Amino acid sequence: MWVGIISPTFCVAGDPGRKGRDEMPRYIVEREFPKGLEIPTTPEGQKAMLGVVENNLTEQVTWVQSFVTDDHTKTFCVYDGPSPEAIRRAAGLSDLPVNRISEISILDPYFYVGAGA
Amino acid sequence: MEREGLLESLGERLRDAKEGKGSLVLVAGEAGAGKTSLVRAFVESLDGSTLVIQGACDPLSTPRPLSPLHDFAADPNSGLIGLTSEERSAIEMFGEVLDRLRNTIRPILVVIEDIHWADEGTLDFLRFIGRRIEDGKAVMVCTYRDDEVGPDHPLRSVLGQLVPLGSTHRVVVPPLSLAAVTKLASDHAFDPRELLQLTDGNAFFVTEIIASGEGLPHSVQEAVLSRVSRLDEKARRIVDAVSVAPRALEMAHAVTIADGGLDDIDAALSAGILLADGHRLRFRHELSRSAVEGALPPARRLGLHRTMLHILEEEGSVDLALQAHHAIHTDEADLSIQYAPAAARNASSRGAHKEAARFFEAALDHSDRIPDDDTAAMRVELANELGIVDRRPEALDQIDRAVEHYRSAGDELSLARTLIPDTGARWRFEDAARFRRGISEALGILERNEPSGDLARAYVTSAYQHMLARKGMPASVELAKARAAAAEAGTTDLTWMITMLEGTVALVLGDTDTGSRILQDVSREAAAKGHRDDETLALMMLGSGSGEVRRYDGAIPALEKGVEHGLAVDQDYLVAYCRSWLARIAFEQGRWDDAVNYAELVDRATAYRKGIAILTGVSALGRVRVRRGDPGGIGLLEEMVELSRSHELQHGWNTICGRAEYHWLTGNPQAGLDELAPAYQRALDTNSEWARGEIGFWMWRSGAIETAPDGAAEPFALQMAGDWEGAANRWSEIGCPYETALALADGPVKAKLESLAIFDSLGASPMGDRLRKVLRDLGVGGVPRGPTKETLANPRGLTNRQLEVLRLIVDGLDNTEIARELYVSKKTVEHHVSAIYSKLGVDSRTKAVNAALAVGVVVR
Repeated sequence: MWVGIISPTFCVAGDPGRKGRDEMPRYIVEREFPKGLEIPTTPEGQKAMLGVVENNLTEQVTWVQSFVTDDHTKTFCVYDGPSPEAIRRAAGLSDLPVNRISEISILDPYFYVGAGA
Repeated sequence: MEREGLLESLGERLRDAKEGKGSLVLVAGEAGAGKTSLVRAFVESLDGSTLVIQGACDPLSTPRPLSPLHDFAADPNSGLIGLTSEERSAIEMFGEVLDRLRNTIRPILVVIEDIHWADEGTLDFLRFIGRRIEDGKAVMVCTYRDDEVGPDHPLRSVLGQLVPLGSTHRVVVPPLSLAAVTKLASDHAFDPRELLQLTDGNAFFVTEIIASGEGLPHSVQEAVLSRVSRLDEKARRIVDAVSVAPRALEMAHAVTIADGGLDDIDAALSAGILLADGHRLRFRHELSRSAVEGALPPARRLGLHRTMLHILEEEGSVDLALQAHHAIHTDEADLSIQYAPAAARNASSRGAHKEAARFFEAALDHSDRIPDDDTAAMRVELANELGIVDRRPEALDQIDRAVEHYRSAGDELSLARTLIPDTGARWRFEDAARFRRGISEALGILERNEPSGDLARAYVTSAYQHMLARKGMPASVELAKARAAAAEAGTTDLTWMITMLEGTVALVLGDTDTGSRILQDVSREAAAKGHRDDETLALMMLGSGSGEVRRYDGAIPALEKGVEHGLAVDQDYLVAYCRSWLARIAFEQGRWDDAVNYAELVDRATAYRKGIAILTGVSALGRVRVRRGDPGGIGLLEEMVELSRSHELQHGWNTICGRAEYHWLTGNPQAGLDELAPAYQRALDTNSEWARGEIGFWMWRSGAIETAPDGAAEPFALQMAGDWEGAANRWSEIGCPYETALALADGPVKAKLESLAIFDSLGASPMGDRLRKVLRDLGVGGVPRGPTKETLANPRGLTNRQLEVLRLIVDGLDNTEIARELYVSKKTVEHHVSAIYSKLGVDSRTKAVNAALAVGVVVR
């Protein structure tokens, strides 16, 4: 079972595409696990998860939340970090695959409500 | 009081130093916060087992270069006598100080005050020592006014480089609290709350008000001046005299000024306004000094500067900056003219170019009183200093004015000389048209006369510019003329340069083997003669020139040597330049993680975002992102294309091609043509086969041309002619896996599958996806799904980074050295090491090395 460690829900007000230059970019990282990813709900499993968080810190990368497919072969992970390279290095420290990195900003379904008839 | 915590942390640093772990401590605080008092209290608390060496920076707008080092040399106990007296380079002096700090039995405390006033040379010194102080029994404590160090302040970039180091610590001296102010004011009739509000807790201000004993003044100046005004006129004169001496006044000089009135000096001392510091008189604080100086009536101030200058002359002072300072402040033109230029040249020779420029400007303020010829000559000197500190438009203006003078005076020889820039002054080559006009005129004049060293120099410089523009024939022609002219004039000091340029031209424009050989020879020759700058130049040419023509075996050793050398002598630009090329080469060889590492080092180190190092390094990063399909690639490349406009073609073509590649990969090939087409025209103007090849290739890919241009580099030409197999083989020989795969992708299914395997192993997702689609459309079955974790991982599951660390462990480096090598913190290295041990199933370094070699993960 995935547990999102942090789940921020704020929107960037005004322009969904705008990011302040001082803020860290946000990325979605797609990872593929052909054999299916299993993380046991045991102390070992917890240790592995926290290990990932700690590894990420050395690259100033923050794991925000992840989404996983039913068969556990693919995950979509939301990360904040300084660059795609930092994301890759952090993944390397934790032995996680990186299949694609995309830079994203948040678009909310109700954002345009009231924006004009 | 209240400072115990700070004193304790200083004490801790000294204890560490005794164990052999040195550090740099930066003591920050606003003016008057009490930094000096803190440091003084610390020094006083020490017993004789610590050697204390002290120095300070001057509050002059044109300080004495390397002032603190002069202070060290003047202290008989420092063991550094003679440090500054001989004609040595700054880097040699720094090395001597470092040796002193390392080869010591007693721990050493070095104190340098007020580094916000440091000249350029002293800033280099701080950086040099700060980076190396960890090994040794020394603590270097530097105080500075953090409220005066804004984003453009020269100290800022030095702090930026030193603060992240593990051996650097920062201590901030905060304002006084209400409790502290209450305690200080306890025996006096001041309301602590009012006092605190007025002074904002500024220690100096508080103590000054308390000492003055009267009502609350409105400002620090008022507080200081009210105390001073209570002195009689003669004592006041002494105080005024001390106020124009930047740091302190020699007691002997004070006596001279006092006209033998020693009582007056005593009066100032007992009133607590001045302190006797050894054989010198000083104010308790720089704030008092500047308050008094600011209140001086103009006539008195000018008179005092005149007196000080006279005193310095009489005793034969060699402090050129101080004499020039006083001379300039007498407002007497003749004195400025007499003293400033010498101080400027001295500053320049010590690497203090900002200060040198200011001194020349001070002299030239009175150019109406200087003979025109001397003015013109000084303008050229000023231009050189301005060029070095990146004030290019002003520098060019000074050159123009000098040229104007010589032209109207009919002084042809001086005119010619002025029009021939030194090859080291890159700022004079940036505007190619301007350069060409100037050198033509100079050559016109010199060719009319007898062959001379100047004529040879003009040919060399002209050839250099042709080489920069990658125009082989004109460069070779000029170099031959240079040889002939030098021979006829009997000049031998240009021979090395001519040979070096011949080698460079050969390397980048056709005969790579000859070119490499020549450059290696001249580099060795320079090294043998101890001409380090020449050796560096030859290495840079060899490294980047070989890189440009994809001769990696020649490029990499030269560039690595450049980095090593640059690190040793703190030549940051050399290090950045060589690393940027190593980034580009790593990119071309498919070692993308290495490319990223090098590029990040360059990006982090270079505060100056306009140079070639940034252009090359950041472009490499951008191209890696494009080839991996990572975000942010095109953004970087667009930024670099802008930057490339002010540099020659060979520095920008890689960037422009990367941008075109992005557009081709994202299905919009014509979008890259706006930059590509003009670059292609420029490439056709040069003789560079690699420029014609790569730019031509992307023109071809973007549909703008059908066949390869003449003289395009072989692998590109082959692929454009349809010989994908020949191209792939050639690329494979050169060592560029991505280009190999691009060529194979043009072949039949079997070749395409081989190509796909290469792209997958590199992590080139865009090309991988594209090929998979093509193969699917062709109906090919059994196409591999994509790079799996198993194929990408290394044996034993070590990550790339861990492999890097393991290799360095096998090379025998300890964790500190590894951290320095990889530019990460020691903690990160320790983290990697423990992960490596766990994956290899070992518990010691030796066992890790054996396991690594046994498994074949690392090969010796």
